[in-house]
Amino acid sequence: MENKKGIVEIVAEKVWKFFSSVKLAVVLLIILAIVSVIGTVIQQNEAPERYLQEYSRATVDLFEMLGFFDMYHTWWFVLLLFLLTANLTICTLDRFPHTWKIITAPLKPIDDDVLKALPFKKEISFKGGMDNAREHAMKVVGARGYRIVESRGTDVLHLMTQKGLYSRFGVYITHVSILLIFIGALIGAFFGFKAFLNLPEGEAAKVVYLRNEPMWDKLMAAFGIAESPVILSPEVSVPAMPLGYFVRCDSFDVDYYVSPSGMPTGMPSEYHSTLSVFDLNGQKIFDKRIRVNDPLTYHGITFYQSSYGTIPNARGKIILNIRPKNDPQARGETITLDPGQSIYVPSIDRTIKALNFAPYAVRNPATGEVMLYQSERDEYINPGVQIEVYKGNSPIYKTIVLKTDSGRPDMPENYIISYRGYWGTRYTGLQVTKDPGVWIVYTGFIMLCIGPLVAFFGSHKKLWVRIQDRKGQIVVTVAGSTNKNRLGFERDFNKMVEDISA
Amino acid sequence: MESSLLFNIATLSYLLAMVLYISYLAFKKNGIGKAASGVTYFGLVVQTVALLLRWRESYQMDIGRVPLSNLYESLVFFTWSMVLIYVIVEYKYKTRAFGAFVMPVAFLALAFINVSGVSAEITPLVPALKSNWLFYHVMISFLGYAAFGVAFAISMIYLLMDTEERGPTVNLAYALGAIVVLASLGYYMASLGERMKTAFWMGIGVLVLIWFIYLVTTGAKNRPQVFLFWSLCVTLAIGLLTAMGIDFFYLITLKHLAAGESFKKHMFESTFLSSSVSIALVSWAAVIGLFGLVWSQGMRLKNLLKQYMPVQDQLDDVTYRMIAIGWPLLTGGIITGAVWANSAWGTYWGWDPKETWSLITWFIYAIYLHARYVRGWKGTQMAVISAVGFLAVIFTYLGVNLVLSGLHSYGGMN
Repeated sequence: MENKKGIVEIVAEKVWKFFSSVKLAVVLLIILAIVSVIGTVIQQNEAPERYLQEYSRATVDLFEMLGFFDMYHTWWFVLLLFLLTANLTICTLDRFPHTWKIITAPLKPIDDDVLKALPFKKEISFKGGMDNAREHAMKVVGARGYRIVESRGTDVLHLMTQKGLYSRFGVYITHVSILLIFIGALIGAFFGFKAFLNLPEGEAAKVVYLRNEPMWDKLMAAFGIAESPVILSPEVSVPAMPLGYFVRCDSFDVDYYVSPSGMPTGMPSEYHSTLSVFDLNGQKIFDKRIRVNDPLTYHGITFYQSSYGTIPNARGKIILNIRPKNDPQARGETITLDPGQSIYVPSIDRTIKALNFAPYAVRNPATGEVMLYQSERDEYINPGVQIEVYKGNSPIYKTIVLKTDSGRPDMPENYIISYRGYWGTRYTGLQVTKDPGVWIVYTGFIMLCIGPLVAFFGSHKKLWVRIQDRKGQIVVTVAGSTNKNRLGFERDFNKMVEDISA
Repeated sequence: MESSLLFNIATLSYLLAMVLYISYLAFKKNGIGKAASGVTYFGLVVQTVALLLRWRESYQMDIGRVPLSNLYESLVFFTWSMVLIYVIVEYKYKTRAFGAFVMPVAFLALAFINVSGVSAEITPLVPALKSNWLFYHVMISFLGYAAFGVAFAISMIYLLMDTEERGPTVNLAYALGAIVVLASLGYYMASLGERMKTAFWMGIGVLVLIWFIYLVTTGAKNRPQVFLFWSLCVTLAIGLLTAMGIDFFYLITLKHLAAGESFKKHMFESTFLSSSVSIALVSWAAVIGLFGLVWSQGMRLKNLLKQYMPVQDQLDDVTYRMIAIGWPLLTGGIITGAVWANSAWGTYWGWDPKETWSLITWFIYAIYLHARYVRGWKGTQMAVISAVGFLAVIFTYLGVNLVLSGLHSYGGMN
């Protein structure tokens, strides 16, 4: 009696068979390798004008239609990745039961039929008794880390052992890891977002501007199930995502490398911002100094230092520090003033006037003279401030203080004025992301590091030693098999045979 | 700086080792082989010390960073890892036959660095590179590249050993004709503008791809074709290295690039893309001559090598092992790069050209491994895939930095 298969079953079987083939995997890998090239030749996500400079209108339209300008996110590329993942999953599920059977199968004594099929075998006649041979073989085989199972018959003794069963899992660890990475990436796309925030020094924000909206919110809104938290306001064209708290930029600065002679080189060594987080009632929660490679995370949202810029026509505040000359440990007094403004400092009984600010000033160490330079994009490569000091209303002296000084500023009295900053003219550019899938991706990464090592460097080896008493003549048959590294196993096998016959 | 002196000693040791390994092949004297190994060990130790010293020097200069972060240092490290892997293979397989192939590459790479004057200065790192992941990422990737390099060299030997005869001379004529036609077409299309140039390269890519797929799917049964493929790979490897060497020499010693000017804008300008028509013609004549020489002398080389080479199965096995070492390393390199990118930018994968090319390379070697494990392929077609994989490695390593743009452009020449 044969069960008639329904059409669904037949289709399901066909689909299963199609997706469980390694041929499909190889074909998909080839296609992915080829189409991936396109996106490396055509610059991705450029402004439309840029493309028109490079290609003709017709080409741009064609590429646009095929999605070549954002190729890795087109439906067909994502579909290819989906197919590969489906292939990998089904292929893995299809093969695992077989592997599991191999792993759990108990070792059986070999007969002559099995022996014929084994790739490595050797017969040795042994001088000595059966127990003698057993002990000897146990010692040789056991020394190689095999755990031995024994089975006794009449005139025959079987020693069976296997090693490296774990290596059968290597390929599954690898495949599952890729699946996890894919799932993690999907979770990131559905529930996470990427955004940016340009935050001027001293200002706070409670929204960030989205580069891509969480797909989940989009779907929910599209089906009318839930309203998207994303704010679309008419004054800003970019959709904004509320943070649920405030983040404030307390300060931003760029440090530059200093040459061995003490001159600033103009090559940035670090960008850093101090950010403070406040709850919506204005209560400060904490602050952190972030720099490239060291972001701030709060409530699953991470802020990365990514760029900076100057605010046009902003007037900054000069920050200076005054401390006594004879006490280098003293924290001194910090004052903040506008360029051109004077402030009376009671601790030294002087009035300090900041005359002007220069973004790039260098002192000649020999002459003490300060030169002013032009810097690209108005960067504060080595800022300096010219100061005039008054006693009462009468000026005493003028001096220049620099961020990095390759000489010595002129300080005739018993206190030192030093430059601390020029605040309020720049913004810090923050990359803001939320990615709840990243830990799944990282788990996948760890497994992907381990899986191939297990798969490539472990091998499942089986070994049989049969000791027969053929009418007083002891015959030892050694046989073995391995699923990988045949050459290595062969060497080891031959050595073992040699040791047993010795 | 002490480290540069030591680097020079290492370079000379590799030169001597190269000469010794080649004489070992030619004269079959065991003593020469032992001397070759000895000199190689010495060079490796000296280079190791030099790398460590350079690391220390950077700390003395208050810059303090791992010596792996510009083209100079990465080439030096690449050489070092290749020699290290070679030494291990020599020790494990008890054969010195590969030395005559690996050492010339090591020596040429180091000499090329010295002569070309790829900036050896220890320059400070830009903020994005200041991460502990830099070390792991670069080191792991390079060890992987080096393993693939060894796999490539052995695949080349395999393909040569596999060739019974080179086929009719008319094949050579066809191949040279194809080179001439394609090169002329390339110049013509490039003269029509940027778009046609891209179209030309895409076309070349498709042609080459069809060829690879033909070779692999037919099980590489068409032996004369395989031999042509072999000749092309060898010509490409020698030709590219030489052309780039001439470029460096020309640009840096004679033309003096302005500071900050990118090398990639001038690639091949001293040879194939020279403004002087005669120089371009001479360069192509050299390529054609080289191809002809490789093709016509291949069998002679085979006969010379035959007696030293382990059996073909073993060559195949070593190639597989090198890929089995290289692929997890490449995986590790990609992963550490992704983790680093995530800590710097909040994106573990951004599809920038270098990332994508490393993934393409990863796919190709994944194909190799699946074809071998599951479909049981062995031999010639696997050697072809291994060669294709290494071409992708070279493009990932050099081509992307020099030709395409993206996040990784700080690895460039300036």
